[in-house]
Amino acid sequence: MGDMSDLQKREEQLQGMGTSLLRKEDARFIRGQGSYVDDIKLPGMLFGALVRSPYAHARIKGIDKSRALDSPGVVAVLTADDLKPLNLHWMPTLGGDVQAVLADKKVCFQLQEVAMVLATDRYAAADGAALVEVDYEELPAIVDPKKAMDADAPLIREDIAEKKDVGHGPRQHPNHIFTWEAGDKAAADAAFEGAAVTVREEILNPRVHPCPLETCGCVASFNKPTGNLTVYMTSQAPHLVRTVLAMLSGIAESKIRVVGGDIGGGFGNKVPVYPGYVVAIVASIVTGVPVKWIESRIDNISTTGFARDYHGVGELAADADGRIKGLRFTALADHGAFNSHVSASKFPAGLFSICTGSYAIPNAYCRVDAVFTNKAPGGVAYRCSLRVTEAVYLIERMIDVLAQKLNIDKAEIRRRNFVAKEEFPYQTSLGWTIDSGDYAPALEKVLKAVDYDGLRREQVEKRAKGELMGIGIATFTEIVGAGPTKACDILGIGLFDSCEIRVHPTGGVIARLGTMSQGQGHATTYAQIIATELGLPASDIVVEEGDTDKAPYGAGTWGSRSTPVSGAATAKAARKIKDKAKQIAAHLLEVGEGDLEWEVDRFTVKGNPGQAKTMKELCMAAHQGDLPEGMEQGLNAVAYYDPPNMTFPFGAYVCVVDVDKYTGEVKIRRFYALDDCGTRINPMIIEGQIHGGLTEAFAVALGQQVPFDENGNHLGNSLMDYFLPTAVETPHWETDHTVTPSPHHPLGAKGVAESPHVGGIPCISNAVVDAFAHLGVTHMDMPHSAFRVWQQCHALGIDRH
Amino acid sequence: MKVQIEKSFPLAASADAAWALLQDLEAVTQCMPGARITEHVDASHFKGTVGVRVGPASMAFRGEVEVREIDAATRSLHLIGRGTDNTGTSGAAMDLRAHIEPDGPAACKLVGLSEVSVSGKAATFGGRLMSGVADQVLQQFAANFAKRLPPAPQEPVVATPVVATPVVADAAATEPPLTPPIAVAAAATPATITTAMPVAEAPVRDINGLALLWGMVRDWFHHLFEAKRA
Repeated sequence: MGDMSDLQKREEQLQGMGTSLLRKEDARFIRGQGSYVDDIKLPGMLFGALVRSPYAHARIKGIDKSRALDSPGVVAVLTADDLKPLNLHWMPTLGGDVQAVLADKKVCFQLQEVAMVLATDRYAAADGAALVEVDYEELPAIVDPKKAMDADAPLIREDIAEKKDVGHGPRQHPNHIFTWEAGDKAAADAAFEGAAVTVREEILNPRVHPCPLETCGCVASFNKPTGNLTVYMTSQAPHLVRTVLAMLSGIAESKIRVVGGDIGGGFGNKVPVYPGYVVAIVASIVTGVPVKWIESRIDNISTTGFARDYHGVGELAADADGRIKGLRFTALADHGAFNSHVSASKFPAGLFSICTGSYAIPNAYCRVDAVFTNKAPGGVAYRCSLRVTEAVYLIERMIDVLAQKLNIDKAEIRRRNFVAKEEFPYQTSLGWTIDSGDYAPALEKVLKAVDYDGLRREQVEKRAKGELMGIGIATFTEIVGAGPTKACDILGIGLFDSCEIRVHPTGGVIARLGTMSQGQGHATTYAQIIATELGLPASDIVVEEGDTDKAPYGAGTWGSRSTPVSGAATAKAARKIKDKAKQIAAHLLEVGEGDLEWEVDRFTVKGNPGQAKTMKELCMAAHQGDLPEGMEQGLNAVAYYDPPNMTFPFGAYVCVVDVDKYTGEVKIRRFYALDDCGTRINPMIIEGQIHGGLTEAFAVALGQQVPFDENGNHLGNSLMDYFLPTAVETPHWETDHTVTPSPHHPLGAKGVAESPHVGGIPCISNAVVDAFAHLGVTHMDMPHSAFRVWQQCHALGIDRH
Repeated sequence: MKVQIEKSFPLAASADAAWALLQDLEAVTQCMPGARITEHVDASHFKGTVGVRVGPASMAFRGEVEVREIDAATRSLHLIGRGTDNTGTSGAAMDLRAHIEPDGPAACKLVGLSEVSVSGKAATFGGRLMSGVADQVLQQFAANFAKRLPPAPQEPVVATPVVATPVVADAAATEPPLTPPIAVAAAATPATITTAMPVAEAPVRDINGLALLWGMVRDWFHHLFEAKRA
């Protein structure tokens, strides 16, 4: 007992934190045995198909249901007028606005929901939907957010035209939503006035869509006799949805059950409550039978939560050595026709104020103006905390622009501006307290790994030959783990999270959490945390999420909050159980608790390792009679964790691209990603997350875009046009890491899923622009598709032989 | 999705004959491939349908046509048409100004300026082809229009630029099983013709998308070689 090899053996048997345990959930996924919402089939279930508007902006003069109702299999056709009696034709949004569940008198974006046809199967429903005759009077549409606040701009939202405020301060124009500011404008302006050098660039984060493989959908089942409503749905936040449904429907929240099931990717797209869900629920309440609604791919890309559409202006002021003295970032945010973007109530522009990045910038000011346009509503965080990608893209692009202006190497200018290790916890000039970081060593490790100096030498040679080679660097700081309830709430509910652990007599464990995995591997990661904390093997630990009848309340999985918040709650709950087990051990071993020490999977008596109680023994003991005076049986605990601060993962990336100046094709030759997410729980899952995030960064940087024509027509809402990279296009990713634990997290973990997306996009963009830097190019907007890059080559006249 | 098309088609007929035909909306509509008038609301308002088919995909737009202006002095006509397709997923609108320019006693020009805009699926999926399609439709329209005019003394000519009819012939030649040659050329020419000479009867058909595509490809090649020569 107690010797190293034995300890190691016991350690390995637990497969706890730090082990690359294969994902528990993959056994069913790789066999095609996952259970997704469209796999749910209930007796007597009807299928709903939505009738959508072909116009981006139009008045509805009439809706004729008669031909649809005559169509075989069609049971009913619901329109706004049918929802009015239940007062469900409008619903509150997560952005503090309201949104039409079914278009009420007018449509404000193309493919807006106008009616739902209920039929006995999905084909009959689709046929019926094609027979609903809607009489539209087309109105002029606003597509360019820069025109939204023109004096003569068409009024998009008649329903709130008179409102002076839609939840986030005064409005200056009927199409204005809010203006949000952070920092000290006067101080920033002063820094610019006295600066040796200033740079300014207009930088667009184009409208993109997370495009998860599984589209959104639900099966709503209202049981008239019991008055219970069960909704199987694609939601990243089932508990929040249950609360919203209770507020909407007036049904007691205890009678509403939301079930997540398996989810085929979310990336932010599955946080909001969409009209389709609500209509399906109303339809089930009205008809008394279950109703299924499943989106098509086109519906998903066109109408559910898009991301970005931030039209930014970046300005930096620096001294002659490139040390940044001032920052001014503004953005015009296109929120579409309804402000249904997802953010904590007090953060209408999300966490945009993280835009000072990894750098010590003494004076900073940022402002976001959000406007309505005749485009789909939303504004979700596509694999990032809301607006963090936009913020990081701005600072990581702008520091390159500054480097070019001063002719300073792009790695060197970062070194000169990094927040130093000893300055942590670091207070940024925009109000965040960055918990921990160690930026310089991370960058140096990456530069060494890719032989940065060698790459720059190669670039010089290539440029001499007229070839285009670019080297991109990103040294980003992320902000995740929303969030401290004193600052963060949605609809008034604090963004804490929870874990309930039940330990069975034989040592089996079931843990239930308020989060919702969409492929992140929670069943594995959480089990490993518990395994290490309780000394029970991960193989016997079952993790359950997503069924609101079973799991304790939580805000769900988005913004990389699962490990930072629920991971902490899991550790807290496990520690409560461990404390009780310790009391039992002391009682059984007839020693004081102080005489016990923890050893992998058991409590041993100090100085007498032979005297011990294993956790397995204590699990049984906790269910027997011989317990300390007054102690109750059982070994269960529930913990709610309210994080004291956000966590701030960081990374240093280098991307090398070769650009074909005749075709504009960008080839990523090498991408090296070093991530620091604090304590690493499952290295294999972390690496998988980084591969996924980098691939989505690659997609955004080189191809993804949701374009519209001047009438507000979608010009790319199917996978025929929308770029979803496969193994064929995706480059090879090299990953690396450093470990700088979070001081305030029980495990020191920070969260990782979003870093590669947030850091990868500017890194690739920086590489593409760097390929043109010697030709005087300071910025090119995404996506860097062959055509757009060729246009740059053509404008420079370098595309001809 | 908006396109503006300005076209001028020489016709081998007197300006008066062409003007007579141009004023007969029923006949004009029938010159429009795939178009059909279904109801006369009043003197200046009509209801009708237009069908387009590209391979397996077909769309039928139903809508209203309004005659905004008929001016005999300038032999000019102003039409507005708008409609939605019968699945409610697309919308289309057209503003057409056409007039006849005399060109000697036995010849004239049909000059048309139109702005076509489409919404919904038609724009999303058809947008890329639109100007090409519109171009072809107008050429077919002109060809049909020419066919309906009383033949001028000299040997009958169909609308030039010659691209118009050959396009159709070639298209048919390449795709015989799909549509007989006249499908497009003589689309919408019922026997009951009031203003013009009777011509070979042919069933009313949709605009044949494949013929359209072929025509567009041809024009594209033409354009390519012209560019090279230039």
